[in-house]
Amino acid sequence: MSTALIHAADSGIRLDLQPVDYVMLVIYFAVVIGIGFIARRRVKTSMDFFLSGRSMPAWITGLAFVSANLGATEILGMAANGAQYGIATLHYYLVGAVPAMVFLGLVMMPFYYGSKVRSVPEFMLRRFGKAPHLVNSIAFAVSNVLIAGINLFAMAIVIEAMLGWPEWTAILASAAFVLVYITLGGLSSAIYNEVMQFFVIVAGLVPLTIVGLNRVGGWGGLMDAFNKTETGGKLHAWAGTGIGDVTNPLGANWLAIVLGLGFVLGFGYWTTNFTEVQRAFSAKNMSAARRTPLVGAFPKLFIPFIVVVPGLIAAAVLGNQLAGAGDSGLTYNDAIPKLIQMYLPTGVLGVAVTGLLASFMAGMAANVSSFNTVFTYDIWQRYIRKDRPDDYYLKVGRWVTVIGIVISIGTAFIAAGAQNIMAYLQTLFSFFNAPLFGVFILGLIWKRMTSSGALWSYIAGIIAPAVIFVLYQFNKDWFNGSDIAETMYGAMISFGTVLIVGVAISLLTKPKPVSELTGLVYGVGKIDVTSDAVAGDTKWYRSPALLGTGALVLCVALYLPFL
Amino acid sequence: MSDNENRELTAEEQSEVDSTRRFDLRRILGGLFVLYGVIVFITGIVTIGGTDELKRTGGIAINLWTGAAMFVVGLLFFLWDRLSPVPAEDILHSEKLEADEKERDEAEGLISDK
Repeated sequence: MSTALIHAADSGIRLDLQPVDYVMLVIYFAVVIGIGFIARRRVKTSMDFFLSGRSMPAWITGLAFVSANLGATEILGMAANGAQYGIATLHYYLVGAVPAMVFLGLVMMPFYYGSKVRSVPEFMLRRFGKAPHLVNSIAFAVSNVLIAGINLFAMAIVIEAMLGWPEWTAILASAAFVLVYITLGGLSSAIYNEVMQFFVIVAGLVPLTIVGLNRVGGWGGLMDAFNKTETGGKLHAWAGTGIGDVTNPLGANWLAIVLGLGFVLGFGYWTTNFTEVQRAFSAKNMSAARRTPLVGAFPKLFIPFIVVVPGLIAAAVLGNQLAGAGDSGLTYNDAIPKLIQMYLPTGVLGVAVTGLLASFMAGMAANVSSFNTVFTYDIWQRYIRKDRPDDYYLKVGRWVTVIGIVISIGTAFIAAGAQNIMAYLQTLFSFFNAPLFGVFILGLIWKRMTSSGALWSYIAGIIAPAVIFVLYQFNKDWFNGSDIAETMYGAMISFGTVLIVGVAISLLTKPKPVSELTGLVYGVGKIDVTSDAVAGDTKWYRSPALLGTGALVLCVALYLPFL
Repeated sequence: MSDNENRELTAEEQSEVDSTRRFDLRRILGGLFVLYGVIVFITGIVTIGGTDELKRTGGIAINLWTGAAMFVVGLLFFLWDRLSPVPAEDILHSEKLEADEKERDEAEGLISDK
């Protein structure tokens, strides 16, 4: 979902941590391990390990939902986008995330949670059968273990630059932490740590933003700084996005932003990526599952104020140093670490560094905890070793976690050997979500969609954007020469391919009987969203429709000052 | 579900409820934030005169403010936990749900593969 981190190791963002800062770091990670042991006592079945026994309240799953996405590439990448492209970065939140979260909570979650599937690939199995399920499971498992490696590597580079630890120490140390707490407590550990991480990173970034704004003379001073230079375009989200008249820094017109980034990439990522959706599956009942992405939408609306705004401040203060001018050794990705170095004294510094390290680690843990679930339930139990007792799968899950992390360390070192492929990998993996979303949305609204239609449109939807991507490497003047715009068009092309191929093949093949589609297709059967409700679910402020509408209204309102 | 709201819990159920509540995430967060708040605030008192802290922040005593704010947030987590503990019904309900799901999984091995 964001630009990658390519980074000179000897950059000028080394932080001066005092013993008290390290004390806070040590306390945090001691608590993390402690949570692993506490969570372990409650892990008795494989459902406890993989889905927290479906016991979590909505505020926890909702914060974990946002937090699972708040890893190294997201925080540093979005601040980098803020510094490089300005206010237009808001699109990633207000068009690219929140509407999709609302859609997931209001429309898709009843199908997911109501069918009691344990993973997103398992929904594919219920709706379309084995062939597309197998492709989906393998694609998810492989891409997730690779992404975990990239996250691990991105984190190691930043830790090396900020703290001076050698890359391999950082990689092994963080992998070991994730290994211990996920193997012990499974998804519960991951989710608890995501929620803690969320609050600590906020506690670190809020002071950074306040001090940064103070130093540039407040919001007005920040605006003046941009208006004095030719970069005034950075202060507008929608100006210069006319079709055929693209002058905004992103290089994309409004159609590409709304359809590509918002509808296909955003909906694809937030509604079909099991790493995210798994948090909602762990909720205690249907009401809490539906509220998970809706509760998550509200913090998501305000994260740009502590991530993108520091990016803007860095751009105003450091100017073209962030683009590497004057041998600064800096890149846009250094926006937040550089501000931390310049502005935060010992004390708050420890909180901020702890928050950053925690979020990097939680991002990787999220990949690992969804990987082990899909591998164990969807591949191992379904195709390799069926019908074993439950504790067998619990044991397999723990071993798969170990193996997944070891492979991630391997892929981290591969990423280390070829740093410039990281941006491309991120881009490619985001394409896995676009075709999956196409298949799901078609399958949800159209009961005539067949298993072969799903399989071949899914595969075609993966190949099409890959072809576009390769062609773009040879024709860099396409898409206004913007890598970001390329991902938006690629996603739209992938989605369109799925629709065309899916409809064509479905019309030629035999559909499943309607009797087998109850609760899996819109309008076939009725999903009872209140049967498992508990006292309190009916309070007015817990209404999914109200929460969803509120989030969308805020989306529009937050754009108004920055048109 | 609502019919067992008022009944007495058995000793076993009560200990299940207690052990779940003892490690409520809000207590862990509350403890962490109170502790961090104290550490950051004291660091602020100790360092504010002797370092370039105020020059860096443009005059804001950021450690004192952040420390105090984290301390208050920590207390609010404890207060929230005190005011609305996880309902016993929810804790026991999730145990029961697990048993149901296990049953379903066992049946599923036979019916869902086509």
